[in-house]
Amino acid sequence: MKLFARRSWAWPRDLRARGLLGINGRNGDYVLPDNPRCHYPRVDDKVQTKRICEARGIPVPQTYAVIERQGDIRRFAELVRERPEFVVKPAHGAEGRGIIVIVEHDNEIFRTAGGHPYELADLCYHLSTALSGLYSLGGQPDAVIVEQRIVRHPAFERVAVGGTPDIRVILYRSVPVMAMARLPTRESRGRANLHQGAIAAAIHLHTGETYGGVCHDHVINAHPDTGATIEGLRIPFWDKLLAAASNLADALELGYVGVDFVLDATVGPVVLEANARPGLAIQLANRCGLQPRLEFIARQPADALAPERRLELTSALAEMH
Amino acid sequence: MNARKATPWVVGALLVAGAASVGLRWRSQHETELKRGDSLWRLTYTVEFAAEKAGAKVRAAFPEDTRHNRVFRQDVLYSGLRAERLRQPFLQAREVALTATHPGKHSVTARFDLHLTRRPYFRVRPPDASLTADERAALLRSEPAIQADHAVVAAALQEARQTAAPGGDLAQRLADFCHTAITRGDDHAPDDAVGAIQQRSASPLGRARALVALCRAAKLPARLVTGFEVKEGASVEPHVWAEVLSGSRWEPFDPENGFMRELPHNFLPVRRDGGDIVRVTGARDVRAAFAIVRLPPGPGALSARRRGPLSVLDLTRLPLEMHEVLSLILLLPLGALVTAVFRTIIGIRTFGTFTPSLIALSFIFADWRTGLFVFGVVLALGLLSRSLLDRLKLLMVPRLSLVLTLVVTTIVFSVSVLDYFHLTPSAQAVLLPMVILTMTIERFYLASEEDSPAFALQLLGGTVVVGLCCYLILRWASVGELLLRFPGLHFFTIAALVLIGRYTGYRLTELWRFRDLTPPPPSGGTT
Repeated sequence: MKLFARRSWAWPRDLRARGLLGINGRNGDYVLPDNPRCHYPRVDDKVQTKRICEARGIPVPQTYAVIERQGDIRRFAELVRERPEFVVKPAHGAEGRGIIVIVEHDNEIFRTAGGHPYELADLCYHLSTALSGLYSLGGQPDAVIVEQRIVRHPAFERVAVGGTPDIRVILYRSVPVMAMARLPTRESRGRANLHQGAIAAAIHLHTGETYGGVCHDHVINAHPDTGATIEGLRIPFWDKLLAAASNLADALELGYVGVDFVLDATVGPVVLEANARPGLAIQLANRCGLQPRLEFIARQPADALAPERRLELTSALAEMH
Repeated sequence: MNARKATPWVVGALLVAGAASVGLRWRSQHETELKRGDSLWRLTYTVEFAAEKAGAKVRAAFPEDTRHNRVFRQDVLYSGLRAERLRQPFLQAREVALTATHPGKHSVTARFDLHLTRRPYFRVRPPDASLTADERAALLRSEPAIQADHAVVAAALQEARQTAAPGGDLAQRLADFCHTAITRGDDHAPDDAVGAIQQRSASPLGRARALVALCRAAKLPARLVTGFEVKEGASVEPHVWAEVLSGSRWEPFDPENGFMRELPHNFLPVRRDGGDIVRVTGARDVRAAFAIVRLPPGPGALSARRRGPLSVLDLTRLPLEMHEVLSLILLLPLGALVTAVFRTIIGIRTFGTFTPSLIALSFIFADWRTGLFVFGVVLALGLLSRSLLDRLKLLMVPRLSLVLTLVVTTIVFSVSVLDYFHLTPSAQAVLLPMVILTMTIERFYLASEEDSPAFALQLLGGTVVVGLCCYLILRWASVGELLLRFPGLHFFTIAALVLIGRYTGYRLTELWRFRDLTPPPPSGGTT
C-alpha cells in the first residue's frame, strides 16, 4: 500500500491532524511573539551573525574581507590575489541571492563552481550592484563579504550535484526541533535552495541519519539527477552540530530560528547563516508537522530548557510523528 | 492581556463603534429638517445630437454654488463619449466636456440636485472681483451682438443719462432704461444690443445685451450671466441677465424682470461669459432640453441645524467636486482588504504589497482600455530594455532612473500613437504610477533571472488577479458614495483587518502545497 497517496489538495483537517504549521501560524504564533524585531539585524546581517558566532566559538567560514564602499572594489583583485578559491556573499542577501563561489582564477578570469567564467570587470560590477542593495531585503545599501570557500565533506559525495549541501536546523526556545539536509541539483544550479529546485532530506534528530525527502513540494526518496537514494546517510559530527545550533540560538535571542550549516571536510559543521523566518518545506521532507513538537517544547518548564538538558528533549522529539 | 485574548475585545469594540457611528450618521441624515424657506430641486439637462464624426464635442456648464444655492449631488450619464472635467477659475465656471468616440446618435443626461435657501447661509469662497488689465479690457470690449462702440449705443447712453430719474448711479440708470424704455418683444424681436435699442423692443437676451453694451460704452465692466430661475417646469428655458462691476462687487441686474442689484434667491447662475449652457460642435440635430422638479426632503441635503465642530464628521458637506476623489480614497482601504485576503488567506504572491491596488487605482482615473494598452506596452518595452541594459553593467540607482525615464517616454509616445489612430485618451489615462511600474519591471526581471521565468510569470499573474479584484472594488462608485456618507463603515474594515491579522490558519495555497502530507486513504483504496 502506498503510504502517501498523491492528491490534488488536502483538507485543512488532514493537515491539522498531521500537525502541519502554515505560514500564518508560523508568523502569528511563533515569529511575532518570540522573535523581537530588534534582534533581526543579528540574522539579517551576515557580518553580525559571523561576529556573534566567533564570540561564542562557533566555527564560521574565515572572512577574508568585508567590502563596504564602492571605492574598495578597486582593491578587490589585490584582496583575492593570494586566495585561489573564495566566496562573495552580500551581507543582507536572502535565499542565496547574489552569492558567487569562485573555485579558481588567474586574477583575470574567475571560474565559478558551476564552471561559469567571470572577467574581473564582471565580478567587480557584481560587487558594485550588491553594494548598492540589489540583493538586500528592502534594497538598502549593503556590504559584501569575501570569505573562505567550504570544502564539501565527502559524506555527501553521491547526493549533491554542482554545489555544497547545507543542513538546516529549526530551533524553538533554543531546542532543535527539526532538521533537514538540502542537496543541490542540476535544476537548482548548485544552490541549496528548495524553491529553486534543490531537494531536501529529513534528518533524524537523535541519530543524525537522513530519511524521507522532498523535491518541489513532492515527497521523493532518491536524488533526481543521480538516482542515488537519499536515505540512510549519516551526518558526521551530528551532536556537535546540534550543540552549536543551540548555542547560537541562545546568542541570537530569537525564540524561533533556523540555522544553516555546511559540513567542512576538516572543521566539521560551520555556520553559514541564520534565519528568523525559516521556511516550512522542512515538514514535507520530514513527512510530519512542526506543530506538535513546538507545542511540546512550549509545555516544558523553564528548567527543562537549560542548555545541558536540551538534547534530551531533542531525542524525545525525534520519536514524535 | 496577550494578543490572543485582546483580539476579540478589540474587534468587538470596533464593531460597536462602527455600528454606533453609522447609526448616528443615519439618524442625523434622515432627521434632516429643512429650514423654513429652504427647498430641494432637481435640474436635468437632456442633450441629444448626431455626431458627424468621432471628435464631436459637447460642453455643458454646471450650476454654480452660491450663498443661496448648493449643488449636493450631480450625475452625468452618457455612453460612447469620453468625459473631461474643466474649470475656469476666472469665470467661476465648472464644465464637463464630452467627446464622441464614434459618429452617430448620442445622448447626455446631466442631473443636479440643488438645495435652495432664502437666507444666504451657505459658505462659498467670495468671487475675486479684482481684474487684470486684460480682463478689464475684455469686459469693456465691443462684441458682435454687444456693440458697445456703436453710435446707436452711444446715443442711447446719452439719452439714459438725461432722462433717467435722478438719484441712483449710472448702472442703475442704464438698467432702468433697459427695463422701461425697451419693451419685451415677440418671437421676432431682435436679440442684439443695437437692434434692441433701435426698435425699443427685444427678446430677454436682447435686453440683457443692450444693458451690457450700454455699461461697456459707459466704461463700466459688464458681462452676461446665463442661468435658471428655479421653479417647477418640465421644459424650462435658460434665463439671461447682466452683471456690472461696481467697485469690487459684481452686481446683478435683470432688465427682463426688473430686479436690480439683488436677485431673488431662486436665480441660479451657470455661465458668466454669455455662452449657451450646453454647446455642441461637430454635430447635427442638436436638441437640448432642461427640466426642473421639486424634490422631497431627503438625505444629502445640508442639515441647517448643526454647524458645530462635529460637522467635520459629515463629509457630504464638502464641495461636490471633492466628493469623487474623496470617495475613491475611501475605497482604497477596501483594496487593501482585498490584498490582505489574497495574500494571507488565499496565499497568492504578488510583486510588492500594494502594487496591485495602486495600479488598479490609476486605472480608475484612466479608461481601462487605454490603461491596459499603455501598461502592456510599458511592461514589454521595459523588460526588453532592461535586458539590454544588463549588458551595459550600470549601477543600480542610475539604472532604475534610466528605466523610469524609458517608462515615462514610452507612456508619452503611446499616447501620441493612440492619438495618431484617433483614439486620443483623456489626460488622466496616462497617470499610471510610473515609479511602481519601474519597480515592477525591475522585480520581474530579477525574478525571472534569479528564479525562473515561470516564477516571474506566476508573480505577474498574481499581481494581475489581485489588481483586477481591486479594480472591481474601486470602481464601485455607489459603495464609494456610501462610504462618503458613512465613513464609520471603515470601523468594520479595520475589524476585518484585525481578524485577518490574527488569522493563523492555513492559506488556501498551502492545502495544495502540502497535499502530500495528507494521511493515506482508507485501506483497500490503493494498491
